[in-house]
Amino acid sequence: MTAPLLEVRGVSRRFPGVLALDGVSLQLAPGEVLAVIGENGAGKSTLMKILAGVQQADEGEVLLEGRPVRFGSVREAQQNGIALIHQELNLADNLSVGANIFLGSEPHRIGLIDFRAIEQRSAALLQRVGLQVSPRTLVHRLSPGRQQLVEIAKALSLDARVLIMDEPTSSLSQAETERLYEVIRELSAAGVAVIYISHRLGEVKELAHRVTVLRDGKNAGELAKDEIRHDAMVRLMVGRDVVVEPREAPGLPTEPRLRVRNLVSPEYPEHKVSFEVFAGEIVGLAGLVGAGRTELLHTLFGVTPALGGSIELEGQALAIRHPLDAIRAGMALAPEDRKGQGLVLEMAIRENASLAAVRRDQRWGLLDFAAERALAKEAITRLNVRTPNDRKVVRLLSGGNQQKVVLGKWLALSPKLLLLDEPTRGIDVGAKQEIYRIMRALAEEGVAILFVSSEMEEVLQLSDRALVMHEGRISGALDRRHLTEEAVMALATGARHPEGVPA
Amino acid sequence: MKKTLGILSLLIAICAFTAWQNPDFLNAYNLQNTIRWTALYGIISIGVSFVIITGGIDLSIGSVVGLVGATLALLLSVKGWSVPAALFACVGLSLAIGLAHGLLITKLRLQPFVVTLCGLLLYRGAARFITGDQSLGFGSNFEGLRAFATGSVPLFGGFNLPYPFLIMACIAIVAAVLLNLTVFGRYLLALGRNEEAARFSGIRTDNVIIAAYVFCSLLAGLGGILFALDVNSVQPAGFGEFYELYAIAAAVLGGCSLRGGEGSILGVIIGAAVMRVLYNAINILGIPTHLEFAVIGAVILAGVIADELVKRLIARRNAPA
Amino acid sequence: MLKRGMLAAVCVATVVLGGCGGQQPQQTAEGGGAAPAEKPIRLTYVTNGVDPFWDIAAAGVRAAEKDLGVECEVLMPPKGLADQQRMMEASLARGTDGLAISPIDAANQVGFINQASKQTKVITQDSDAPDSDRLCFIGMDNYKAGRAAGKLVKEAIPDGGGVMIFVGRLEQLNARQRRQGVIDELLDKPIPDEVEFDAPDATHLGGKYEILGTRTDNFDYAKAKSNAEDAIASQPNLKCMVGLFAYNPPQMLAAVKEAGKLDSIKLVGFDEQNDTLIGIRDGHIQGTISQQPFQYGYKSIEILLALAKGDTSVIPEDKFIDVPMTVVKQDNVEEFMVELERLRALGKQS
Repeated sequence: MTAPLLEVRGVSRRFPGVLALDGVSLQLAPGEVLAVIGENGAGKSTLMKILAGVQQADEGEVLLEGRPVRFGSVREAQQNGIALIHQELNLADNLSVGANIFLGSEPHRIGLIDFRAIEQRSAALLQRVGLQVSPRTLVHRLSPGRQQLVEIAKALSLDARVLIMDEPTSSLSQAETERLYEVIRELSAAGVAVIYISHRLGEVKELAHRVTVLRDGKNAGELAKDEIRHDAMVRLMVGRDVVVEPREAPGLPTEPRLRVRNLVSPEYPEHKVSFEVFAGEIVGLAGLVGAGRTELLHTLFGVTPALGGSIELEGQALAIRHPLDAIRAGMALAPEDRKGQGLVLEMAIRENASLAAVRRDQRWGLLDFAAERALAKEAITRLNVRTPNDRKVVRLLSGGNQQKVVLGKWLALSPKLLLLDEPTRGIDVGAKQEIYRIMRALAEEGVAILFVSSEMEEVLQLSDRALVMHEGRISGALDRRHLTEEAVMALATGARHPEGVPA
Repeated sequence: MKKTLGILSLLIAICAFTAWQNPDFLNAYNLQNTIRWTALYGIISIGVSFVIITGGIDLSIGSVVGLVGATLALLLSVKGWSVPAALFACVGLSLAIGLAHGLLITKLRLQPFVVTLCGLLLYRGAARFITGDQSLGFGSNFEGLRAFATGSVPLFGGFNLPYPFLIMACIAIVAAVLLNLTVFGRYLLALGRNEEAARFSGIRTDNVIIAAYVFCSLLAGLGGILFALDVNSVQPAGFGEFYELYAIAAAVLGGCSLRGGEGSILGVIIGAAVMRVLYNAINILGIPTHLEFAVIGAVILAGVIADELVKRLIARRNAPA
Repeated sequence: MLKRGMLAAVCVATVVLGGCGGQQPQQTAEGGGAAPAEKPIRLTYVTNGVDPFWDIAAAGVRAAEKDLGVECEVLMPPKGLADQQRMMEASLARGTDGLAISPIDAANQVGFINQASKQTKVITQDSDAPDSDRLCFIGMDNYKAGRAAGKLVKEAIPDGGGVMIFVGRLEQLNARQRRQGVIDELLDKPIPDEVEFDAPDATHLGGKYEILGTRTDNFDYAKAKSNAEDAIASQPNLKCMVGLFAYNPPQMLAAVKEAGKLDSIKLVGFDEQNDTLIGIRDGHIQGTISQQPFQYGYKSIEILLALAKGDTSVIPEDKFIDVPMTVVKQDNVEEFMVELERLRALGKQS
């Protein structure tokens, strides 16, 4: 390895009540792509914030080209060539691409913004990240993937030598992700060092030259290029082996629990969708981002009522115009946007868990507080929500525990059909396994589960059967025997898989 | 309860200071008056707090007070309607206004600010139109009806509890039960914080929001009836002007967040009391009337700043070391 | 104005838009197409607000219209200064041969009145703007009226005591003159050549009659009532209350009645609202100073018509046309009420 560009030695950072980082070290060579992985709370974000000047270390030192540095602000870090790209995009989407790239460091002439310079220089940067849009395009017209590339161009405009990317692909489609990989590889070849944080171990395998694993604020181990394997990474992250034991395909009843015929969702009025889900079955809904999976769940659940077709639950035809209709029929939906649609973040666990059930438990319109407490307690113990009590505001919970609260809200109603949209997005490995176990336990109890996932491994591991969507229609169904990555990708990209059975 | 503590301290501080400067503040007659005014403004403040909890706003309250007050005076004094019929018409008018606001805001997705701002103009104009822009009153008739606003129940030591206070207390109890103990209240608080999540949980958010606007206008109308009966003279062009701002100020002082999802009925009443006591204190202490807005603004601002600082201090002390 | 300043955003909309739905000019005489050669004379009468008082003045305008055969419009701005200005601008834009106005803020409307004087004949009525180019002022001498009210106070409490004054706002010249008249009369000052005004928060303590202060309510009736209540609560020495604007005496009377202090606190008022007159009849109010709004309306049109025809002899040396006040007390209240009814009926007919 060449002399390190960036070195971290024994850095510690304490927050009230928590030791977030405890003597963490890492090294980064020029042009290297280093993946930093670990469960939520392992200290990845804190470490990155220290490198980017957002926070300061209590102990230890950071060396840039062998010279100790200490960044008091983001600007200072940027001046030293270190740029952080946040998980949530930080673009002003009412401004143009060019204006965003030079936001805060606008070139100017006699006190006025020099728009020509912005345009010329951003055009060059956009070319470097392979984004073919005019610098004058407004950011909100770009897809999330393209916005991500704008963020990278912005970082490059600061002559960044170290680029820190925090979960850059969490909102990207497959094609956009591929494009991002290419850009990262090109940057790496040009000598830019990249620190890549991700929960998606497949991506890490694909991209990283080296992996550093953090656990509970400490270094848990390191993997060289040829050691990067899924099980090795999980073992270091969790501290033990994690095995998802394959499940016996259930014996299915003859009549489906859910039967959808010629359903037309408002987003894709030109396509009719038909499929079935049986009791006790876990059906994965795969496809690229934007294939219409979330829209399908929303139409089933009455968020965006269907324009045509029929929905039958246990043989009963349903007219669903509002989520309440779906809930009364026995459906439940854990939405993709957990914080925006799944939870009232500023309310306590107890109130969130009971939100759907208070209508049922009411007595002449009055709340039944005893029933509410019992319900919250049941959800916390059954789903193993980690919290001191049910009065804790859900905003303060980790992603995994938040998702458990969402599930708890629905389990209180004993649903017949559970719709899950990206149930493990942004959730760390340990909690993911718990969510999987919960899903399986529910299926064992006879709940029909239809879940959307953009993570191939999740679809492959969990599904008894998978439906694959492409541009608003179901392009094929794959049963357990035919469920392979290649088959899913082929259907998801529009090719008819030879072994795909019609839905 | 914690949220009302700050505003309650402010109220006590103002009362203590005023009583120390001029003991007449505490005499029965003055307390009665202050309580009566607090009750009248408190009623409209409770109404707007429901709308604020949904994350909305109602700017039309003052004009609804004016329109309903003018309608009552018109129906009773000029048209010669019977008292029950006139009251029934006023309540019906208030309900219709609230329903119209709610429908426009939920079904047409118009912004509450715009809808109720137009309401502010529309109802003011309507009040002036139906009365021909004439001041109307009840003269010395309807003494029985007017007692609802001006009468009182004798208690101890020459102190009489004004009827409006009893009316407000009943409304406050109903409102507090509604907000804290019913499914409706839970839905209101949930959708105020996150309407989307509430809808995804099967709450018919539109209906809940409509109900909040109806409740608000109903109480504004009731306020209009009581103000008209108390003042005994309704000038359609000015009656109730700016009352929406007093009501909103009281609600926000009492702990309602303009972002929605938060509010306490007790706090709102204390907030209304702070406003009224301040007005009263200014007169009692002989501060020139042209300074009253400056004084009220400064005291409320100081109170809000102190409240915020104390909250931070507590938060810091409670934080794990 | 403080109020409006503080409540900026909404108020701007209220003031600007609220006025739009306001008073339509009331035109009775149709500008007929029969005699296109001779343009009919059009005159404009502007009040300072909306009030029963102005309805009687409007009746005077209508009577003059009928008697003298001119075309008149009556403008009643409901929302204060900005509204009044806007209405007059519109009227000037349409073209008018004479303008009689009751300025809301005399000192600050001088520029506007001078501007208008270049376009048409302008006189003031009810309240004056003495520093402007207006041709003359028709009205009651408000300072003298204030002194007359002061005499009523002296009759009500011959043994002296605390006096408190209530008014809508003190920016208006007539309000200030009335107040100063009351104060000077109670302090037994001689009638000056030029009236000097006390500060708004002035008090005069220690004498036989103590001026305890002046309270303004910005035309909010509820505030007018609570001001009276607060005075009753906080001023043990309060013996008499004086209400300078028409709606003040009824609110003072309600407050005193509800406090059970009809015997110990005397009341003196201005103008002739029904409740005020009933209060006088029942002996609860000492008396009221009534202007003759009917005469304001009638005289204004009469003078403007003469001016429009080029006759300037109607303007007296001191540019002041006095419309004498009427002091209404228990002994003449009955007959006053009858006459008022007659004029009001006349106003409604027109």
